Amino acid sequence: MLELDGLTKHFGGVRAVDKLSLSVKEGEIFGLIGPNGSGKSTTVNLICGVFPVTAGSIRFAGADITAAQPHQALAAGVVRTFQNIRLFSNLTVWQNLWVAQNGMESRKSENFLKRWLSGDAPARRSVEELLEFAGLIGRRDEYAGNLSFGEQRRLELGRALAAKPKMLLLDEPAAGMNLEEVGHLDQRLRKLVERGVTILLVEHVMELVMGVTDRIAVLNFGQKIAEGTPAEIQNDKAVQEAYLGGSSGS
Amino acid sequence: MDFYFGLLQIIGVHTILGLSAYIVLLTGQVTIAQAGFFAIGAYIAGMLTVLAGWHLVPAMLVAALVAGFVACLVGFPALRVKGLMLVVATTAFGEAVRLFWFNFDYQIAKGDVQVGPLGGEGFKQIRFFPENGWTTGDVALFIWFWVAVIMAGLWWMDRSRAGAVLRAVGEDELAAQSVGINLTAAKVSAFAVGGFIAGIGGAIYAHYTTHIEHANFGVILATFAIAYPILGGLSSVLGTLLAVIFIQGFLVEGLRFLGDWRNLLFGALIVLAMNVRPRGLIDERVLNTLRRTFSIGQGGGNA
Amino acid sequence: MDFFDFIQSITDGVLFGTTYALIGIGFTMIFGVMHKINLAYAATSIAGAYVSWAVGTLVPLPAIVTFLIAVLGGGAIGYLVYLCCFKFVPLSSPLATLLSTVGMLILIDEIVVHETDGMPQPYPALFDDVYFEIGELYGVRGDLLFIFFLSLVATTVLLFMLYRTKLGMATRAVAQQPVAAELCGISIERTNASTFVITGLLGGLAGAMIGASVGLLSPLLTLPVTVKGLIVTVIGGLGSIPGAIIAGLLVGAFENFFQALRGVTERDLYVMLLLFVFLTFRPGGIFSRSVGRD
Repeated sequence: MLELDGLTKHFGGVRAVDKLSLSVKEGEIFGLIGPNGSGKSTTVNLICGVFPVTAGSIRFAGADITAAQPHQALAAGVVRTFQNIRLFSNLTVWQNLWVAQNGMESRKSENFLKRWLSGDAPARRSVEELLEFAGLIGRRDEYAGNLSFGEQRRLELGRALAAKPKMLLLDEPAAGMNLEEVGHLDQRLRKLVERGVTILLVEHVMELVMGVTDRIAVLNFGQKIAEGTPAEIQNDKAVQEAYLGGSSGS
Repeated sequence: MDFYFGLLQIIGVHTILGLSAYIVLLTGQVTIAQAGFFAIGAYIAGMLTVLAGWHLVPAMLVAALVAGFVACLVGFPALRVKGLMLVVATTAFGEAVRLFWFNFDYQIAKGDVQVGPLGGEGFKQIRFFPENGWTTGDVALFIWFWVAVIMAGLWWMDRSRAGAVLRAVGEDELAAQSVGINLTAAKVSAFAVGGFIAGIGGAIYAHYTTHIEHANFGVILATFAIAYPILGGLSSVLGTLLAVIFIQGFLVEGLRFLGDWRNLLFGALIVLAMNVRPRGLIDERVLNTLRRTFSIGQGGGNA
Repeated sequence: MDFFDFIQSITDGVLFGTTYALIGIGFTMIFGVMHKINLAYAATSIAGAYVSWAVGTLVPLPAIVTFLIAVLGGGAIGYLVYLCCFKFVPLSSPLATLLSTVGMLILIDEIVVHETDGMPQPYPALFDDVYFEIGELYGVRGDLLFIFFLSLVATTVLLFMLYRTKLGMATRAVAQQPVAAELCGISIERTNASTFVITGLLGGLAGAMIGASVGLLSPLLTLPVTVKGLIVTVIGGLGSIPGAIIAGLLVGAFENFFQALRGVTERDLYVMLLLFVFLTFRPGGIFSRSVGRD
């Protein structure tokens, strides 16, 4: 479904991502792990088009999205969340979900002006569904900035789903959560996969990654050093070295 | 009576100018270019009525369209930069427009006088109102008709999805991008609409003062344009109106008896206001109280 | 215009451009440390010069003492701007700080107008009777040369302070990583305040130099100097001191050259054009290494 081929990004002289090739299959949860600064977040930013790619290509569902702007990547079906929550805190919960109705369906179904000005009826229905999914029905008119941390995380996930993505890029969704909350997140991710969403999970919390993913790729210094099932990764020499201070490289 | 009509005219035109900056500020862009669009509207509408003999309304709309179009052209490159860079880029654009009119001559003979813009001398004799027998009361009414139209339009836009989208861009560009908002489209359209509104304001201004010159359209005017919405608060178009009334009505006219102390007070009050009410005179909390009091939660309407 | 006029106008422009460079450094330093725009900065500079002028009307002073008082006055007003526009305005409202600096600009300007009735006031210069003739057609004005060297000295002192003293280290630390700097025991508030004082001192000098080279002080100087200073900041690259220096000289030369070529009404148009060229082709400024992140 998502194919990265020789993906490379340089910042000045720094190679943040170096000839990364990956292939994520439809319907799986794919984990992307690695020590701090290994290029995970940059990879997410490249896939959604926040940074221009230095070299290599990104294909999604058969289409080339290497040069896509973020809104074009989203139209193709790729949506991301942020490591540090980024809601529109001076908009209400309802408005946060409303402005995010930019998915494929609303794009082709209704006329342009109506979609921009009022948001069509399907979009409004979709907002209600998302409020329910995120468990925020009672908080719809609250400013997003006044929500608790957990509510904000749920709203952000709901907002990402507003575009009806085929693929979600989750950038450390478990950051700051306790074990119980991680358990809830685990279940919610599985529910999403049942709905037909493919997930690329960038994460530090090993309980979540090892438990929920089908396959994992490990990055270090922008390069892929291992790929396989969670069990294979746990026994991989190069990975252990990268995590246990083998910063001299593998 | 004429004094009050004159004051109403000033407040009206400045409200339009402030509203033109309001919509751009919603997207988080600080623009010092509004005086430039205002000048374009003023000169072009003036040239159309004086040199081509048009009626004011079509002249005004054409001038506003030109200003909006220029805003669109400037918007694409200018909105690639943010923050201080954008402030400087738009300042420079506004100054470039002013200097353009400073060096622009186009005069034709009308009867036995030469009319049209003449560089540093300015553009005199824009006499559409007196020639057509409008009283100051008529002019004030005309101005406030447009103020009402623009305010109602922006109020309605603010409550539509487009308004929420602009605010989303203003709050967090990266997050807005990642929920599928086309940043360039949102920012450039806000900029273009702002240019259009400033163009209308300029066109009206040129006709009620009857004499414009480049110095009217400097950085100071552009600063006022953004000062109104910021001082009034970006929660609602009402804030801009209130700020204009406060500055033009109260500070400039009401305190005239203070002589030049008034200008001192003016700067000091702005500093004070921003320390006490950093989100503007009418912020979210005041707005919510207003809504609850008058229960105008649903359904649009103008001020 | 022949070759000698060309060289002459460029030389004068570069020498006068040092004042733009000083103003640009001030803007850039405040932006670097606080990530905020202080639109009252150029007004601070001119006001610093006015303070020395006011003292000069009470007691006759030699020019060099006048300049010194301008420097101190600029520092004091810089601190005042910090108190009024930055200390109490929440950081989360960038528009509020921006507008309060505008208010401050108006306030400073109006105080000057009030005290001088809006009339330009004479300002002393040093070495304005000296003229170095080089050949028959070409020469250098002594007062401009003096301004050039004084600015050079001020910049050197500033750079020494930034890179060799503890205060400078703290300033740079806050500019780069405010949170980490605070964890290391650096008070951000004190650093911000000292940045305003230091840039104020520098601005006072710049204001005095502008007054000295024009021979006059006028409230009408504030806005053009603000605009030029901002342009210098952007051309030099935000936060870059060497960039601001080079950009200041460049803008000075450019402006003076086009003034000689096209006249005073058109010269600023070309300065704006220069800015647009930079914004389009080198948005990161003169010394930007490459196209930066986002």
